[in-house]
Amino acid sequence: MLKYAYNMLVYGTEPIEIGIARLSKFGYDFAEIVGEPEQISAAQYSEALSKYNMPVSSIVSIYTPDRDLVSSNSAIRANTIKYIKGNIDFAATLGATIVTLTPTACMKIKPEVAIEQEWEWAVQGAREAAQYALDNGVRLALEPWNRYESYLVNRLDQSIRMVDEVDNPGIGVMADTFHMSIEDKDIPGAIRSAGKRLAHVHFADSNRAAPGEGFLDFTPIVEAIRDIDYQGVCSFELLPAAGDVWGVLQGGKAPEFLDPYTESSIKYMKNIEKNLGMINVK
Amino acid sequence: MSNKIGLSTFVLASPFTDADLHLMGKVKGMGFDVLEICIEDPTKLSSAQMLSVAKEHEMEISICGAFGPDRDISHEDSKVRDLGIQYLKSCVDFAAEVGSSFVSGPMYSATGKARLLSPAERKEQFNWAVDSLRVVANYAQDSKVGLAIEPLNRFETDLINTVEQGVELCRAVDLPNVGLLIDTFHMHIEEKSLTAAIASAAPYIFHVQVSENDRGTPGKGQVRWDEFFATLAAINYGGQIVIESFLPTVKEIARAVSAWRPVAPSMDALAIDGFHFIDGMVTKHLGSA
Repeated sequence: MLKYAYNMLVYGTEPIEIGIARLSKFGYDFAEIVGEPEQISAAQYSEALSKYNMPVSSIVSIYTPDRDLVSSNSAIRANTIKYIKGNIDFAATLGATIVTLTPTACMKIKPEVAIEQEWEWAVQGAREAAQYALDNGVRLALEPWNRYESYLVNRLDQSIRMVDEVDNPGIGVMADTFHMSIEDKDIPGAIRSAGKRLAHVHFADSNRAAPGEGFLDFTPIVEAIRDIDYQGVCSFELLPAAGDVWGVLQGGKAPEFLDPYTESSIKYMKNIEKNLGMINVK
Repeated sequence: MSNKIGLSTFVLASPFTDADLHLMGKVKGMGFDVLEICIEDPTKLSSAQMLSVAKEHEMEISICGAFGPDRDISHEDSKVRDLGIQYLKSCVDFAAEVGSSFVSGPMYSATGKARLLSPAERKEQFNWAVDSLRVVANYAQDSKVGLAIEPLNRFETDLINTVEQGVELCRAVDLPNVGLLIDTFHMHIEEKSLTAAIASAAPYIFHVQVSENDRGTPGKGQVRWDEFFATLAAINYGGQIVIESFLPTVKEIARAVSAWRPVAPSMDALAIDGFHFIDGMVTKHLGSA
């Protein structure tokens, strides 16, 4: 039986409590929240979380241009490690066990120096952050992004290679089905090859909308997750169909991502679990 | 039906020039009957040479355009729009001269403009695209050349992402020689259903490009090929089917389409294995190759 979260990033600037209430209403096990502790502190989340008895599974890190683990500017690299450690503290305060990590700024699509050098910076930075995570009871999840959002780690096998090089139990790999629908040749196969390294899962359909809205076949994906005995959380990270994702969210132009997709996503996946005999749905 | 299978020059060389035309023999040897030549730099290609090499190898040529920032028919600056129109007209001339029945590509905007537009801004840009396309389509009509407009995924354009939006653009231009190019790579990201998208656009589909979900060898990834070809058969598509991928070694292209890593053992292997796979699909679903 899988455990479900919904990434509140797509709720945009809506008041926190409305979002938490929605997750509670539709039967979510966890909330997944955005890691901007200097803008919205743990204390600001705590009241709504306790009111609805909603735990936080995971912190989604936001890699802006000044948060780039492989920047050629050492000050930016240092700032990125500081930011990740801040998210680890944030997670630990809220009782979350996962912080997402991607080693490049979002939408940066070309290297600044030799890619081998950038890879090495990524491994070193991830190692330092992974040890900090381990010391705080948190695990980093290294997320590949599709070719339009990054260039360094695009596929799950690349994430596996980097995690193995980091070689610290404080980091694992992350599977996001939207990115994998563009980059991987075989999603269930990639998940199986990750095995125990799999630290976190994002579900979205092929068009980044709710499962069922595109044409990914989630049944073999769920089977792969079950077969590797994944104990983590599956979170829906759904985002609007635009190259400029941030703009869409800030503009609040994505109403279907509120009630409609929050409700349909978990229903759709639980139905697959039911068909696979993984749960009994009342 | 007699669907001809083609290969895009993006798999061979970029920019593709007269000096690369000798590759046509190699492409024919792989089994292809069409070379889709992308007119990246019109000054480095001559239709006379293209035609002569094509005749020698009994190949057909299909003309496609490449749309950089200075070839933008929906730009807010009319001077830039005019440059885009001029370029498209030169592609139409190439098509007319080498016997390609259309010019294809994402001709409504400069590729890579993926901004957040307000509905009013988008409408304005859409209208500029319609006006410019009408000018080019009327020009193309004189030489019986069509325009095959290609929707691109959300990361490459903000104007036409889905086949449905493509049909909306064709309807707005409202000229008989304006239709669509559909491409499986973009459809795999944007469409909810391949069958529904193709069926709803049937009369407008002038051209088809095939590419795997990761731009690698067709047949080795996640694209729903049987569904795609069965639907082409259902609408009696009799046109060309062109394999498109991009040389990861060409930096300019790598940036435009974000091709950051090799997606097949080699581009030759991609072409050869891809041909056999697509040929099999055509035989299975469309009757004969």
